[in-house]
Amino acid sequence: MLTANHSNQMAVLTVHVGASVTCLPFGRGRSVREILDLFGPRVRAACGGIGACGACVVRVLRGEVNPLMPAERLRLDSAAQARGERLACQLRLLGDLAIRIDHPPPPSVWTTIPMEDLCPVSSEQPAAIRYKYGLAVDLGTTHIRLSLWDCGSRQRMATRRGPNPQGVFGADVLSRLDAARIHAAELARLVRDALIDALRDMLARELGKVTPLLADVGRVMIVGNTAMLTLLTGAGYDTLIDPAYWQQPISCQPPDWQAWQQAWGLPNAEIVLPAPVAGFIGSDLVADLIATDLVEGPPGSMLLDLGTNVELALWTGQRVLVTSTPGGPAFEGVGIRHGMPVQIGAIYRVHGIDAAFSCEVIGGVAPQGFCGSGLLDGIARLLENGALKPSGRFTVPPGTEGYRLDPDNPRTAITGHDVDAFQRAKAATAAAMGTLLAVAGLEWSDLQRLCICGSFGHHLDLSLAQSVGLLPPLALSRMELMTNAALSGCEQALLDGAGMARFARLTHLMAPVNLSMRGRYDDDYLDHLRLKPISLSQNQTIK
Amino acid sequence: MLDDIIQSYNEAVFETDRMAALNVVDRALAQGVTAEEVVFKVVIPAIETMMSLIASDPDANLAQHFMTSQIAVEVTEKMLPKFRNSPEVVGRVVIGTAHGDLHSLGKRIVMGCLKAMMVEVVDLGVNVSAEHFIDEAVRLDAQVIGISAMMVHTAMGEEGCRKVRARLQERGLTDRIKLVVGGAPYRFDPNLYQAVGADAWAEDGINAAKVIIELIREVKRHDTP
Ligand code: B12
Ligand code: FES
Repeated sequence: MLTANHSNQMAVLTVHVGASVTCLPFGRGRSVREILDLFGPRVRAACGGIGACGACVVRVLRGEVNPLMPAERLRLDSAAQARGERLACQLRLLGDLAIRIDHPPPPSVWTTIPMEDLCPVSSEQPAAIRYKYGLAVDLGTTHIRLSLWDCGSRQRMATRRGPNPQGVFGADVLSRLDAARIHAAELARLVRDALIDALRDMLARELGKVTPLLADVGRVMIVGNTAMLTLLTGAGYDTLIDPAYWQQPISCQPPDWQAWQQAWGLPNAEIVLPAPVAGFIGSDLVADLIATDLVEGPPGSMLLDLGTNVELALWTGQRVLVTSTPGGPAFEGVGIRHGMPVQIGAIYRVHGIDAAFSCEVIGGVAPQGFCGSGLLDGIARLLENGALKPSGRFTVPPGTEGYRLDPDNPRTAITGHDVDAFQRAKAATAAAMGTLLAVAGLEWSDLQRLCICGSFGHHLDLSLAQSVGLLPPLALSRMELMTNAALSGCEQALLDGAGMARFARLTHLMAPVNLSMRGRYDDDYLDHLRLKPISLSQNQTIK
Repeated sequence: MLDDIIQSYNEAVFETDRMAALNVVDRALAQGVTAEEVVFKVVIPAIETMMSLIASDPDANLAQHFMTSQIAVEVTEKMLPKFRNSPEVVGRVVIGTAHGDLHSLGKRIVMGCLKAMMVEVVDLGVNVSAEHFIDEAVRLDAQVIGISAMMVHTAMGEEGCRKVRARLQERGLTDRIKLVVGGAPYRFDPNLYQAVGADAWAEDGINAAKVIIELIREVKRHDTP
């Protein structure tokens, strides 16, 4: 039997907009606007949710709510109150609640990043910053993440997460680089428009004004993988696919900053793009290092950024060995029969005893498919109960439909093809970790600290990842999970007057390793295809 | 008895269990099966069965592809010295990955199948330029050039197969040297091989060996009228 896990802290917010109805199971106590900003149909808003703008009006249909707040008495006249109108930012979810949004804003691709997925930034002031607002951007292949800062008070004013609009030119980096041969200008424009759109969305919804505030934005700092940076600036994308350039820095500075400032309407913003390290090793990896303080830790500390393109860094005490490997999009739920991104309806955890599985589903609704962590858990559980063999084959072939974790729900099926895609991705990752260790002359057991960032977020079950051989079987105390590390590192550098110097110092320590030039990588890759724990004593001498 | 051996060998390969497969072969030899029989009656038919099984099996995975060819090569290489007469070599192929492409695993599988099927293969490595492909094919008197490309841009780009074709034409070698390609992008678009000027393509190792043997025969027929 498959159950959605509901804790007694959960309540369901039902939202009616026109004829459509959305159910959002959520923890009690949160404001309705917060919940809607994270997942929902949005309400109008023009202040940071402090009851100042009066734009976030919703009508309560039924359910238990907190009494009217002072701000609501001020903003809503008695007729409105009599109709059951409330301000979403003041209204809290105490139990199941149904509301209607009578005047929804135009639809938007941007959502807020959950607070618990962000790192706190220390409040100490490292250097005087002369401007008011700063924008940090993590430009990913699939998603763009941004945060707007009040630099003086070191406060995060808003965050946004949305799709990279270049996706229409192909899901992976190479198809986009390929498209750039013809459509470079279009690719660059798409993503530049998206960035300014997100910024305007944040200003409008959290600060209530846009144009006058744009002049107060003093700095925009953008990190990303090398391909995304070259496509943003239109410089250097043609050298990227040539192996001769892989271990070299690639310039991706825009030819003309002023044109950008003008196009964006940010007359006073300094636009900074820390340089990527090499061909497929971006400035996002450097930002990861800043966020995790990797080089402040003991030698033998490794960072793993899991995604379509897996990036790795190993601190040896003298230098940081870095590399990247194409895991493939399986980790992000792409290319999987019932794969989906981390959004409502995605299975993100699977528990199982014998043949009965129970899935944790985002939003607590009926499962619609697997995100990366759900697929990993599912495969690990099937392996555990013997339905799947270490070769990646099912004991009893389930046919093209795949093996249903819930016999009654076809969208809980995992196919042999899904398992293969996962095996390849995890083999590419594990072999890359092993190769980096070998280059440093280290064994698996020498790993002191392993920071895992990237697509799985905090949903990754470390023990299950160990059981299928994605992660080495180290003590769990040596492993750390971090969500949005690249954005956090970018934020830290944004707020630090010497931020660019930090990037430069770390980049200088980095030594790129080209896996395809390492003979052992091939053999390791094949070994790691099997679904079994990594052996800590595996011989690490370079062949 | 041979049926028994064939069945256990196939099972071991199917389960990607290399040790079990090698044990079957040792047992067979101990029971008096000849090295020739092991190669021609067990190993080669096993690759064929396996590849067709794998091709029609939605659950087949990369490990199986790889082990099938890897085990086959290992066994064949062990058996060859035990042959009473040195086996007749079908022909010679040079193989490498396209310019800009460093993905060598697909090529390794293809090489395994070719070796097991008595085709001589010379590995030119990865990131091979068009000139090097042709120079080596001419120097070694190979009938076929095989190019493996795993990425879209190396499969379709100007520096890969297209350039090899252009050079072959310039040097008037089109009848003497045939050109075959493979790799994921050719599978996504089964007409791509023609667009880039190849004579043939194949979607897996065993079919690669088959089309290559075909092409070798074609060149040899042309050579000896
Ligand atoms: C392993 C791997 C690597 C390894 C390669 C190790 C090695 N020595 O081979 C490493 C880490 C080095 C690597 C690097 C890169 N990779 Co890579 N890699 C893969 C991966 C995971 C598997 C590819 C593979 O080996 N397949 C196994 C073989 C057996 O596949 P096959 O097609 O079934 O092979 C059969 C047939 O094609 C045929 N065949 C093959 N060759 C030939 C030749 C002839 C003549 C014939 C007749 C038949 C034939 O027979 C074979 C056997 O049956 C894939 C993703 C995936 N999940 O598939 C990405 C993938 C191919 N890589 C990709 C990318 C982007 C890269 C990098 C650019 C990224 C980076 N981070 O650096 C670099 C580029 C390196 C370069 N210039 O080549 C992309 C390509 C995307 C695209 N649109 O083209 C992929 C698809 C991943 C992805 N989705 O993003 N990669
Ligand atoms: S009053 Fe609720 S968002 Fe402004």
